Amino acid sequence: MAQKLRDRGFNAFVIAGGLREWSKAGYPLEQVPEADIVLLPVFT
Amino acid sequence: MHPLANLARHGYLALALVVFLESIGLPVPAALALIAAGTAAVSHAIAARYALPLALGATLAGDLLLYLAGRLSGWWLLGVLCRVSLNPESCILKSAQRFHRRGKLTLVVAKFIPGINTMAPPMAGSMRMPFLRFLQYDLAGAAAYVGAYFAVGYAFAGVIDVVYRKTMGLTRAVEWLAVAALAAYILYRFLLYWKHRRADVAPRITVHALADLQRNEPQKILIGDVRSHGYYDRGAQRIAGSVRLEPSKLLVGEEQLPRDRELYLYCT
Repeated sequence: MAQKLRDRGFNAFVIAGGLREWSKAGYPLEQVPEADIVLLPVFT
Repeated sequence: MHPLANLARHGYLALALVVFLESIGLPVPAALALIAAGTAAVSHAIAARYALPLALGATLAGDLLLYLAGRLSGWWLLGVLCRVSLNPESCILKSAQRFHRRGKLTLVVAKFIPGINTMAPPMAGSMRMPFLRFLQYDLAGAAAYVGAYFAVGYAFAGVIDVVYRKTMGLTRAVEWLAVAALAAYILYRFLLYWKHRRADVAPRITVHALADLQRNEPQKILIGDVRSHGYYDRGAQRIAGSVRLEPSKLLVGEEQLPRDRELYLYCT
């Protein structure tokens, strides 16, 4: 994804280790806001 | 050796194993095994009264395993299954919506549809279909699947045997064809990997360097979460200050992305 954006002229990078590495290093996390949650259907 | 002789020798265990492995998603020909079992039952190499319940039980066992995995993992398992799709996010969303609309019927016919047969049980689990309802419809589907192919083998035993004997001479050619097809497929996958490995050249940043940037020059950067399934559960977390960038729309809506800032992307 980052490489495709770079091909289109964006200055894109990849965060090594991603969310897991960020969390392990103790850097701040936040809850995903309700508005961004995509709830998938469930049977009741 | 004639496949019926193989089946008679390795019998019920082989049938149960093949059917179970297919039900958990492995690419093994359970339908062929069931047809062979039906044919073997005609010549009494195996007994239908044992083979049918065994095959049914093995199918249900595999489906239950996937149902529980879906139930326990939420959407994670579906994300894994959809990873091989061209558009994983769309795969998850569309599969879920379609299944929710036709869930019960899907479970009954899923076994006959390649791809859907593996997705249906974990989706039922992820979408919290009540266990008894799942069992009811999955049992109906498994019984239809096992019964149908077994019946084909039973009904056409004579024809299958004749076809097998006539094609015995082609066995060597078929084997070479299969090897050639497998080699071509492996070569194709390797070329695909080689072509896409250039994606590894996208520069990376460590989390420590990014944290420094975020602290000292926040206006120069944008941190984007491109996870395809991480947003489907309440309580999901993300890097503080990051924004959701939907992978399927990332390249289509690129004019929304800032060109005067550095974009730092992450998934898991």
